[in-house]
Amino acid sequence: MNRYLKLVNFEFNRFVKIYVVLLAITLITQIIGVILKSREYVANANEAIYQEQLSTSEFLSQYGTMSFDTIVRSVWFLGPIALCAGAVAFYIFLIWYRDWFGKNTFIYRLLMLPTARLNVFLAKGTTILLVTLGFIGFQLIILPIETTILKWIVPKDFRVDMGVHEIIGAIPELHLIFPQSFIEFVLSYGAGMMVVFVLFTAILLERSFRWKGILMGVAYGVVALFIMLSPLLVQDFVVDGYFYISEMVLLEVLVGCIVIALSIWFSNYLLKRKIRV
Amino acid sequence: MIEVKELIKKFGRKKVLDGVSFTANKGEITCLIGINGVGKTTILNAIMALTPIHGGEILIDGKAIHKDSYEKITFIPDAITMLPQMRIADAMEFMADFYESWNQERATEMLRFFKLKETERISSLSKGNTAKVNLLLGLALDVDYVLMDEPFSGIDMFSREQIADVFTSHLIEDRGVIITTHEIHDIEHLIDKAILLDNGTVLKAFNTEDLRESEGKSVTDVMREVYQG
Repeated sequence: MNRYLKLVNFEFNRFVKIYVVLLAITLITQIIGVILKSREYVANANEAIYQEQLSTSEFLSQYGTMSFDTIVRSVWFLGPIALCAGAVAFYIFLIWYRDWFGKNTFIYRLLMLPTARLNVFLAKGTTILLVTLGFIGFQLIILPIETTILKWIVPKDFRVDMGVHEIIGAIPELHLIFPQSFIEFVLSYGAGMMVVFVLFTAILLERSFRWKGILMGVAYGVVALFIMLSPLLVQDFVVDGYFYISEMVLLEVLVGCIVIALSIWFSNYLLKRKIRV
Repeated sequence: MIEVKELIKKFGRKKVLDGVSFTANKGEITCLIGINGVGKTTILNAIMALTPIHGGEILIDGKAIHKDSYEKITFIPDAITMLPQMRIADAMEFMADFYESWNQERATEMLRFFKLKETERISSLSKGNTAKVNLLLGLALDVDYVLMDEPFSGIDMFSREQIADVFTSHLIEDRGVIITTHEIHDIEHLIDKAILLDNGTVLKAFNTEDLRESEGKSVTDVMREVYQG
């Protein structure tokens, strides 16, 4: 346990520089977005009211009010989120491969630590989870700052204020990363960790068997997908809609747990018996 | 004692090791000798469970390797096993964090002996100094067995001499050492036991002292006989 926590700390610190840069990019880009979008709206309003002689209410009925919703849908806001999501996806692979490549082969050290090799696996998984949660937390912290900036720029009569909850609620696609309830949180992060563990297992297959391992990794991914789809297939083709939706959710959770357990068990086996430096 | 019994290792269909057996005792330096590609590094990797084997058995003090074994046996590969961005001090801290057998006093002593500075970054070290740090990270562990892969290859003369001095010091004494080399000259006088390898098998294994006394032959003489005869 102790060495597992040390490994988590160690792995996180290896990512921390890139992490800080990504957080800074997110903060700066989104704030620039808020400022530009708000000023654009105010400029439009000025032009309409002072040059085209529209009244405030005429302007509002033609152009609508300004709200944070407009900003959330812009590339200024979603761009950095996509960048961070992409960085996490990329790091799922890099977190392993960086130990094998380069002239300093750190994987020797990791595999020779006097601790179960599974701890290395779990520490890398935990790091991915922490990094993701950190991004989400950071986004939730900077949202109120951004809405405040909007309030500074756009006068009260021209805007509709939104709370953090409403802002996230405005874009359904974001529900996956900003869960609206605890159950949603457990489901989407559980599913996320399952995907990470399946990918880790595929990576370890490649690292153990190299070229053949790529095929085995893909095959493992297909098997995991099939297990995940099995309740749906049974529902549609075998029992013909026998289960309630809530029961289906439960079944999916169950098979999800099976896939996670299978991945951890298989990775443990690979790390102990098949891995190559 | 490290016992390697009938070790078989294949890369694809090619058998790299075909029934290799030998033992290495505590308090002795055992040297695996053979040309490049003969499987010396693979044997060390196999002992440390860093590569799967396809037959045979490896025992350390009578037991197969398990997680706690890494407090008793260590491996110094030919490349340094620390992150390049670390300073020497960070690397030592990492070792102290993870290994109960880490001996900081000994590490400090070796730093002084090798004239290395704690504040230096691993990525900025010369080849010779990198090898010294690598050696330090392994030898400062209070382990019974040390495996070293080609510790002298590609290093300048003075570094080689310094490293050779380590072999005759208390840093090595009482431990079991397995060392590989394709070039015997630097360490001929240091080794207790020689294992000559070729084509995945042990051609000859002998105690260097015994052979010197009974037949008056050096390791180089025996190598000439075995490889060229």
